[in-house]
Amino acid sequence: MRNPFTAGVALILVCAAATQAAELKVIVKDHKGKGVADAVVLAVPVDPRNAQRIRPQPDAVDQLDKEFVPYVKPIFVGSTVRFPNSDNIRHQVYSFSPVKKFELPLYGGTDAPPVIFDKPGVVILGCNIHDWMVGYIYVSETPFFVKTGAQGTAAITDLPPGEYTVRIWHPSMDRAEETTSRHITLAAEAPVSAEWQVGLKPSIRVPRVPGGASPSYP
Amino acid sequence: MRCQVPRTFSGAIRASLPAFLALCAVSHTAHGDWTVATSAALSHDNNVGNARNYASVAEDSSAAATVSLLQLIQVGENYSVAAGGNLSGQAYERLSGLNDASLEGVLSLKRKWGLGAFAPWARVGISLGRADYADDYRSATVYRASLEVGKRFDERLSLWADYGFERRRAAAPDAEIYGISGDVFSQNGLTLKAGLQYSLNARTSLALGSLWRHGDVISTTAAGTYLYASSKAVAADPTFGPGAYAYKLNGTTYGARLGVDYSLSAHSLIGCGFQRLETHAQGGNNYSGSMPQLTWNYRF
Repeated sequence: MRNPFTAGVALILVCAAATQAAELKVIVKDHKGKGVADAVVLAVPVDPRNAQRIRPQPDAVDQLDKEFVPYVKPIFVGSTVRFPNSDNIRHQVYSFSPVKKFELPLYGGTDAPPVIFDKPGVVILGCNIHDWMVGYIYVSETPFFVKTGAQGTAAITDLPPGEYTVRIWHPSMDRAEETTSRHITLAAEAPVSAEWQVGLKPSIRVPRVPGGASPSYP
Repeated sequence: MRCQVPRTFSGAIRASLPAFLALCAVSHTAHGDWTVATSAALSHDNNVGNARNYASVAEDSSAAATVSLLQLIQVGENYSVAAGGNLSGQAYERLSGLNDASLEGVLSLKRKWGLGAFAPWARVGISLGRADYADDYRSATVYRASLEVGKRFDERLSLWADYGFERRRAAAPDAEIYGISGDVFSQNGLTLKAGLQYSLNARTSLALGSLWRHGDVISTTAAGTYLYASSKAVAADPTFGPGAYAYKLNGTTYGARLGVDYSLSAHSLIGCGFQRLETHAQGGNNYSGSMPQLTWNYRF
């Protein structure tokens, strides 16, 4: 290309193509056709170079009305998570999960130090004072993920065009997340829609209000 | 003829109530680790007076409510102290002399062996309270000590047991029968309870409980000489009508309760239950009672 103008135009076109983003729209339904909230959608690029420039971001899981908020938090591996306590009582957050075992001694406000999640996988959160509190951190090996909303829908935007393996995870899903994997090709400016149907196990939690009064003698 | 005891609650309760309400208010503003819970129950007891003879059996329905306020203090990794109080009241449909208000202070030390919901735990507790009845001769100061243990096995199943001692001290009236004390409403008893709770689904849970109690029991029935010989104390009990006498006997009670609870929200549940008690007392005075219940619990 001897013409500098032509070379410049070509370079601009190449750069523009590189910055053109793809989009994946997802809906997750249960077996009754109802949208599933709090499902994590993960898009793993087949070409790992597509994810190289993205860095982990700090994040937070709050404690509000003696519950973890949000109930499910997807993060990128290597991210730092703070656990602010917005309740007017203290909490003692812990996890026994092999991906990240930790314990934050009893604290209130924003006193707890942040925790780094440096391995991918599922981390189940609990509070040693309030047994019913449970929350999930999904530590994703890919920076391209999203969580479904109340209607079961979500979209991952700004994806580099290319080949992806897309899978779903939900805390109550009745099968392994690997079985939800699909190969999807994404092109710039051409959003792709995909639908998953997953079975959910009954979500049994430790009761917050103790029932079962014992027999009493008058 | 009904007893002419004034149907007002004693000064102790009247004085304690503002203090309790002030404690509630402080808990709301102090931003401490307070736990506030309320509960209410509608019950029907088919043998309120624990009578053996059918002719003396009195049944009645009652409504009860309790407000509990506890300060939780974590002591180190494994121990926690709870201090607070319960304010409760019960009103009967017909036997209004049994209406009562009570206030008790509680202090307990809990140990958990490990972190989390599935760690086994044990708790020792003491309480001191005052129960004031509309028919004041039943009013008593109540002392309790207990040892509880429990373990949750998974999200569905938890088991617990409770061994306790209770002493009630009431004002002793003059003896009405020569040689037999009139101090009927002072009682001692040892109680062992055990139970399980099993979640059937996300909102519904099943509760099973059993009770063994040994100690003083009170049976109110028409005057009968057959009970005098085995009674530790005897006194007129006009709450149940003229000619009714309360007999304090040594006895053993076996009980069971089956209940189902349904969560209305994260904070509240309603339930229904059925309780059955069988008592074998001295002198062959055996009696039984059943109590269906509707309950409501709210925890802030």
